[in-house]
Amino acid sequence: MSIYKFIATFLFLIYLGLLFFLYKGGNSNEAYPNKPITIVVHSKPGSSVDLMSRKVAELARKYCKEPFVIENHPGTQGIVAMQYVMDRKPDGYMMLGVTKSFLSTLIVNKSDVVISDFLFLANMISDPEAVITNKKSGIQSVENLVTQARELNGKQVWIGPGTGSRDHLMAMKSWETLNIKAEWVDYKSGPQSVLAMLRNEAPVYVGNPSDIIGKDDLRIIAIAANSRLESLPEVPTFKEYGYDINESMWRGFAVKKGTPPQTVQYLSEVLKKVSQDPEWIDYCKEVNSFPDFLNTKIFSEKIDNEMTETIDYLKKAGLLNSYVKKGPIPLLMMAVMLALFVIFVLFLLIGFNVKKFTYNLFLSGLFIWVALFYYYQTLLFDIPEGLNITSPALIPQLWAILLFIVSIWNLVNELKGKNKRIRSGRIKLVGKILLALLIYFIAIPQIGYFLSTPFFLLAGFYILKYRKIPVMITYSFGFVLFSYVVFQMLLKIDLPLGNLFL
Amino acid sequence: MDIINNLSLGFSSLMHLTPLLMILIGVVVGIMVGVLPGLSPSIGVALMLPATFGMDPMSALVLLTAVYLSANYGGSITAIAINTPGTPGAVATTFDGYELTKQGKPMYALLTSLTASTVGGLVGTIILILFSIPLARLALSFESYEYFALGVFGMTIISSLAGDNPAKGFIASIIGLLLVTIGFDTQLPFSRFSMNIPQLADGIEFIPALIGLFALGEIFFSIENFKVLKKEVSAKKAIHKNKTLPLRKLWRLRWLMLRSSVVGTLIGVIPGAGGTIATFIAYNNAKSTSKHPKKFGKGSLEGVAAPEAANNGSVGGALVPLLTLGIPGSASTAVLIGALMVHKLNPGPQLFEKEPGLVYGLFISLFLANLVMLALGLLGNKLWVRIIEAPKKLLYPLIIALSFIGSYFIQNSLFDVGICLAFGLLGWMLKRGGYPTAPVILGLILGKMIEENLRLSLVKGDISEFVTRPWSLAILVLAVVSFFLPIIKKRINSSVN
Repeated sequence: MSIYKFIATFLFLIYLGLLFFLYKGGNSNEAYPNKPITIVVHSKPGSSVDLMSRKVAELARKYCKEPFVIENHPGTQGIVAMQYVMDRKPDGYMMLGVTKSFLSTLIVNKSDVVISDFLFLANMISDPEAVITNKKSGIQSVENLVTQARELNGKQVWIGPGTGSRDHLMAMKSWETLNIKAEWVDYKSGPQSVLAMLRNEAPVYVGNPSDIIGKDDLRIIAIAANSRLESLPEVPTFKEYGYDINESMWRGFAVKKGTPPQTVQYLSEVLKKVSQDPEWIDYCKEVNSFPDFLNTKIFSEKIDNEMTETIDYLKKAGLLNSYVKKGPIPLLMMAVMLALFVIFVLFLLIGFNVKKFTYNLFLSGLFIWVALFYYYQTLLFDIPEGLNITSPALIPQLWAILLFIVSIWNLVNELKGKNKRIRSGRIKLVGKILLALLIYFIAIPQIGYFLSTPFFLLAGFYILKYRKIPVMITYSFGFVLFSYVVFQMLLKIDLPLGNLFL
Repeated sequence: MDIINNLSLGFSSLMHLTPLLMILIGVVVGIMVGVLPGLSPSIGVALMLPATFGMDPMSALVLLTAVYLSANYGGSITAIAINTPGTPGAVATTFDGYELTKQGKPMYALLTSLTASTVGGLVGTIILILFSIPLARLALSFESYEYFALGVFGMTIISSLAGDNPAKGFIASIIGLLLVTIGFDTQLPFSRFSMNIPQLADGIEFIPALIGLFALGEIFFSIENFKVLKKEVSAKKAIHKNKTLPLRKLWRLRWLMLRSSVVGTLIGVIPGAGGTIATFIAYNNAKSTSKHPKKFGKGSLEGVAAPEAANNGSVGGALVPLLTLGIPGSASTAVLIGALMVHKLNPGPQLFEKEPGLVYGLFISLFLANLVMLALGLLGNKLWVRIIEAPKKLLYPLIIALSFIGSYFIQNSLFDVGICLAFGLLGWMLKRGGYPTAPVILGLILGKMIEENLRLSLVKGDISEFVTRPWSLAILVLAVVSFFLPIIKKRINSSVN
């Protein structure tokens, strides 16, 4: 055991050192910037915003004495990343990679973040929308497209990822300008749309110029930009055909509002210098985009205009609804009422004999309640007419009905006594562990991961009746050190340090 | 003999120190990624991607594919050791792998999984080299109808997972199907059933749910039945007794491993279907063709071999559409496509013509990576068994803490930790009521695929295509057979008895 005592003491001392290192705080009076600047990206590594940010970070090294580092926070179409930036201090050490898709995201999502929370530093690059066809489809030019659309009289199918997405809005804009009618079919993702195009399943796909790289069967019939791309000189613009369609996916950077003006000035300067670097111009060419630098003022005005336009198109598409009606009573109350109803029926079935109310009966009732509650919620869906879709209620209703039927079957089994009786084990022990877990869960955001975890582990060992103290200390503090090395040092994720100390 | 020329060209471009070193690093990182719950192969590949930007294209690709391949294997280790699938693809491995551990035979399961993974990886690579062009056509021919059919086929496995009480199995799977409808609708930009909770707007994050349901659910259940712990000393003895697996037992699994590898590769080829579905289908297939179907779920080596072979076979399959069509077939290959772009390589048919050295070098590196994985796996197994031997009283709190951190990791979100905890409670509640938990996961995995593709097919208009298109019809017929076969077999058996 003495070896364990030695290891335990050793690990505990390192742990104290780690705590000191983590919480010592960095009060330095040096001029901005005096530590690395983080670029938060809302998508996984390898995505277009990610690659752009990494290129900027690489080139910015020439113009800024501190390095830029990339952090990826994917989720909910960018909301996760935006929220992450909003949760930090506006000290200029965190930039957010922004793209035009954020506009629809912010309008459609009911999140706490709004567009005016951000200060848009600069646009770096823009990627024109492209209308793409299969070479076998017979649509070789915008004229062909228009002729076919008129012949089909609204039955021509345009596909792309998402409903209410930038690509969908681009399609609507094109129909308006080209004066045609067509149908939008949402293929969910870029790759699935491209696959459909490769097998010539649909005539028109709204995507971007890089989609055709390496795919000989696809052709861009026009891009929605003012001039041709240098990298694709043979592809015409809509403008050349006499249609004024200008729609591109811009990508740039923003910081949280409230960042000091000198800092904003500094970052904008760095970005401007990057945008003039010949290597940057080459990069833009490679990815089939325009090196479209816009400064803070012009960029912000552009975003304001486009926000109005986006709302406009979403309204026209009938997509700016709430989609869910208000029920006659609040949802929570309905949930409680349904639960009471189910419990009442169950008691009725067992003749109000409390002894017969088994765990299995409780579970059967719970699932019947889940089915009813889900079904009730689908009744509140308020879906706009005239869209080319199937009802969002269809599948949930199907599952809810199935669950209801099978649960009744299960209930009958239970009442007939066909199910095995459940023997309860040591519920108290589970209860204690759960309590410890709950306290741990609440404590993490308050006092931080590094302070709460060893005590949760010690409590856990104790509850499970482990009593060799040096071993307990070795494992609990050792685990925290292990997780610091693996997760924070190697995988670079910030484990929470706790609100109380920040 | 074009292929031989190309392979020797690939061989010569691979035989440099850096790419070979990258294979080794990739396998080590990949196994670690697989072992840590919360880190899926795609996250692992994404994490390694930035490190490859400065490398030559060969080293970069070799490193990333080695991570991808071995992460798929690594997930099975925790699935066997602590009933926590380290990756979604290892869910089916828990069914029999963890049972074997409970019986004191973790080494049997670990060795079977390692062998099956290696066989799967090798078979997948061979198929990739020989048939990538015709298989690309298969990938192209799948429309929404076929995806829907495949989703339904995947769901039919519940009839064999459900065990003695089919009602409970069905309920568990529908719970999964219902939970996955939370979040953005597949056709309209609004969030269903999210109760105005912003973190739920995009649905329940899958990996925290998976970790909660399996790891926490199992721990709560075991703590409730804590008497077992007094037998720990004898369990330790049993582990020592069963330290090596007789090779003849593995040899008996050879045809099953080959067949499951082919199943995994073929399903891996289909973009968006993914290795996880392949593992379930292979497990179901193994059970329905086995001479001992009753042993499944009670510690059958076949039940470990089939999903693991399929899981690693799917890696070779997923590279088919990536390299031949330039379409990423899975989350991991979506990251790989980013890697190709960074190095100015455009995936597609031209890649084979312009860069044969690179493409075939990559193929050979997959062979080598599989062998390195086998060697490192054999070494690692000794370590994993020691972890399993640790007293449960120490192990359980540590697994809980690891589950929390794994859930937090994905979005830096404590909400996801809450999801993990909630699913842990759900898993415990279901388990103690005699409901199987695996069907919940099946519903979570396949629900979106079924809904998205059914509704897309309905929008396209012609429902009859479900039965007039050959692939769609074939898969639907298979689904019906695979759903009713176990039920009919059971009837026959019970009437014979």
